[in-house]
Amino acid sequence: MTNRKVYNLVNMKNFLSLVIIILVTVSNVLGQQQIQIVDAESQSPIPGAHILDSTGEAISVTDKDGIFKIKTNHQQIIITAVGYENRSITLDSSVHLIALRPAVFHQTTELLVVGNEDRDNVRSYQNQKPLQSMDRFLENIDGISMTKRGAFGWEPVIRGQSDQRMNLVIDGMQVFKACVDKMDPITSYVEMNNLSRLKIDKSGAGVAENGTGNSTVNLITQKAGSERLTMDLSSGLRLPDNLRTIQMSGNVSDKRGRNGVRFSGSYKKADDFEAGNNQTVENTQYEKLNLNLNYRHTFASNHSVELNYITDKAYDVGYPALLMDATKALADIGQLKFNFAPNSQKFRFKSVMLYANAIRHTMDDYERDVANRTVMRGMYMPMYGTTTTFGTKLAGSATVQSHSFDWFLDGFTSEAYGDMLMQSLDSSIEDMMIYNLDEVRTNNVGIGFRHRFNLSDSILLKIEENLRYKSLNTLSGTHQSFFEGLYDRELSARQRILPSVSGNLLWMIDDRWSAGTSLVYSERMGNHMELFGHYIYNYTDGYFYDGNPWLKTERSINTDLNITRESGNQSFSLSLFYKQYFNYIDGIMSEDLSNNDFRFKRYANVGDAVLMGGEFRGIHSLSRSLRLENRFSYTYAQNQTLDEPLPLIPPLRGFSTLHFHSGTFRVMTDFEWAARQERIAQISSNEDATDAYAIVNVTVEKGWAGDSLETVLQVNNITNEFYHTHTSIGNIYEAGRSMMLSVRVKI
Amino acid sequence: MGRIMAMAALVLAVASCNTNNSNSELDLIPVNSVTVQEYTVSLFAEKEPETGFNMLYWQIEKDGDRIEPQQFSIRPMMDMGEMMHSTPYTEPQTAEEDDRYLKNMVVFIMPGGAMGSWSVPFEIRTQDDELITGELPVNVNSSWKLTSVRSESDKIYFITWYSPQNPVSGNNELAFMVHTRETMMSFPPVSDAELLVYPYMDMGGGSGHSTDFTNPVATGNGMYEGDINYSMSGVWTTSVELTVNGETLPEVVFEYSVQAK
Repeated sequence: MTNRKVYNLVNMKNFLSLVIIILVTVSNVLGQQQIQIVDAESQSPIPGAHILDSTGEAISVTDKDGIFKIKTNHQQIIITAVGYENRSITLDSSVHLIALRPAVFHQTTELLVVGNEDRDNVRSYQNQKPLQSMDRFLENIDGISMTKRGAFGWEPVIRGQSDQRMNLVIDGMQVFKACVDKMDPITSYVEMNNLSRLKIDKSGAGVAENGTGNSTVNLITQKAGSERLTMDLSSGLRLPDNLRTIQMSGNVSDKRGRNGVRFSGSYKKADDFEAGNNQTVENTQYEKLNLNLNYRHTFASNHSVELNYITDKAYDVGYPALLMDATKALADIGQLKFNFAPNSQKFRFKSVMLYANAIRHTMDDYERDVANRTVMRGMYMPMYGTTTTFGTKLAGSATVQSHSFDWFLDGFTSEAYGDMLMQSLDSSIEDMMIYNLDEVRTNNVGIGFRHRFNLSDSILLKIEENLRYKSLNTLSGTHQSFFEGLYDRELSARQRILPSVSGNLLWMIDDRWSAGTSLVYSERMGNHMELFGHYIYNYTDGYFYDGNPWLKTERSINTDLNITRESGNQSFSLSLFYKQYFNYIDGIMSEDLSNNDFRFKRYANVGDAVLMGGEFRGIHSLSRSLRLENRFSYTYAQNQTLDEPLPLIPPLRGFSTLHFHSGTFRVMTDFEWAARQERIAQISSNEDATDAYAIVNVTVEKGWAGDSLETVLQVNNITNEFYHTHTSIGNIYEAGRSMMLSVRVKI
Repeated sequence: MGRIMAMAALVLAVASCNTNNSNSELDLIPVNSVTVQEYTVSLFAEKEPETGFNMLYWQIEKDGDRIEPQQFSIRPMMDMGEMMHSTPYTEPQTAEEDDRYLKNMVVFIMPGGAMGSWSVPFEIRTQDDELITGELPVNVNSSWKLTSVRSESDKIYFITWYSPQNPVSGNNELAFMVHTRETMMSFPPVSDAELLVYPYMDMGGGSGHSTDFTNPVATGNGMYEGDINYSMSGVWTTSVELTVNGETLPEVVFEYSVQAK
């Protein structure tokens, strides 16, 4: 080797070193670092590994190359992946490769959906954008459907179960709807630009934490990071409903990343939309403002404290399926959370959270033609509802005689109120007033445990149990006397001890195939509406419902079977479930009070019901720039006592999405379809059959200046199909062809 | 000195008032009083007298001191000029809830006014066997709590809304009193009738509905008791169909307002 060659080689090494240093420096300056997770033996990348923070909360998922991006600020992370041992590591700028040892471990059967974009992630859902609505995002997830009442405030349904039969929480917090007509599902309080991820437990097997054994959706919000200064602005316009949106989010922190503040805000305003026949669907307008502020302080000891506040204000929200519109819907949701740094003590806390929230909902029908409707004809019916909830959640782990387990403590108290004033058009008729809920108090405290047992090198057993005390009561003498009169019984606080338990078995067949099964037993006490609701109109069957404080506990057994195959560029997952309900709570007709104009039901334990079905999800990376994703879901639900289908069950439905990307140019084509639904409830409800439909949506994205500027053109329902979903209350038609242009700037 | 005396009198007056009500749960208003031969007869009630059921409370004083007579009897009378009649009532007895009063029930079957005026003639037999007689005029207002119906044989039945006196949303005791007229001075209770009631809320636009209730049944002395569970506040009607001696009389309707709380 000549001196010149040696000199060149040295220079080349220096140059490479310089490039690496620059890259590392730039990477650090930008606050983002790519880290690859690989198999310790084969050195092959591990896709789909979950990255958890020190509290056990997932913060990212690796892509098909085993890579994830993270801001390194010496934080402790835990990496979990199917078939590998967990690994805990403190990040710094020198960490670029982490190897996991193959082992028997499968974190969970829960589906984790990363809310912030990760285009290269084989598991990620591609349609989430800051300007997309939370409703559309949820509807796009297999196993979830949405009960719709118009353009706003869709209610999520998991495997045919909604409302009282599922947990819908924000950062684990209980938030109760204030509207007795369910116009304000709490999903409306988290905007997409503030969603970090969704934690979906379809089977309810996570009983230790969810407390109920019900299917659970946890909307996990974005938290303050250690970025010095970031800003994300986006704005869009959609036609023909003139949806105008503007959103912003940002993060600031001090130099050491000890103190961080994240803020986000969004404003939306839409006019009535047009259905596929080009006819305007009246009363589908809305206006909404959402603000979120999160502050985080990390102590030198690596403990951290977070303060989070969400305020959401919606005005002039039209509900074409209902008799009235929401004039004002206000939510204030706050939490204070202390995260403990990891330690090796036998009994340790992971986090302690205190939270409070207040929801107020005002609606009226002053803009409606009340003189000619069939229900509550000739009168206005302004309604007001409010819920106030205070709660706490504690989580930790313990080791007793070499057995380690996680523990969870949960408690909350909530008070609900709802009234309806009836003002007749006939001025000679005195105003009427109903208390739908009056000083109805729910108290709940529960303790849960999660145990993991490695039965062999390839089989993991997870056992969870939870014991809850729940009480419901009304502090209002008149409200109490109504139920005493209705059932001719003395009323005192209704109390229950509610156990739930689950077993979850996972078999790692090989490095690609895994199979799992779970069994969940749970008991459910009726909620405040089922026990103490009065004169509550159910739009699905046209009956007014009265509660029943003496309802027996509803019990259920759910079993799940899942088989998954994952490889670097392909994955598929098939889940099947069977859920049997006993003492199913539903309404039975009060024939003594009902007539042609007013029909009444009372809640009762009506017998047994069964739900079964499954979901399939397949993702195929056809090439580096082309990816196909298919998702199907089906639920069969039967009221075994009435021998008829349960109401509002979606038919077989699916989504197929073809993604193409080349550099900063991306095209996504969605094919959304549903089969005809003929399984309808005609005894317990007034359903009719729904025709099949299929629509196509296309999204074209182009990034500019290294994706710091992004333009998006989205055309939905290209063929202008005139259709409605089976879960649309009142058969309100969906929007026809629409086009949205949005611009996003990231700083 | 004058000021001190005035203050002392005021304090005494207040103390006196407090003493009178200290042991009583009754919330009474004065209706009228009359002084006859040094005896002052005062009438109190829970509300202004009105058609329908009323509970009357009496106090008798002599020289400012309350006395307990050997007997105190009354007979409410309506003077219509060309004719006079009484009304269903009971004789005063010592009030269990406050023994400083004598109390009795009366059902005024018509209001006072242009048609005639109500008075309550009374007799007091003192402990000295002295008989004092007098008369106390009473103004009786009209209310929704009384109606009447006639049988085919032209026998009249007075149906009195006994409770709830102030209907509120939620469960209320529902009770009626039924009396008939034997003579102009005799209005005995009817205890062997059957009542069929039906509450209804007219919500306008030609629609409305009922609410949960228990039909009243006879409990004696012309009283019929059940329950009514108002689902909402507003104007309600309750129809009553009376069956006496196998004859079902024409339906009568009470219309009234129910308060929210």
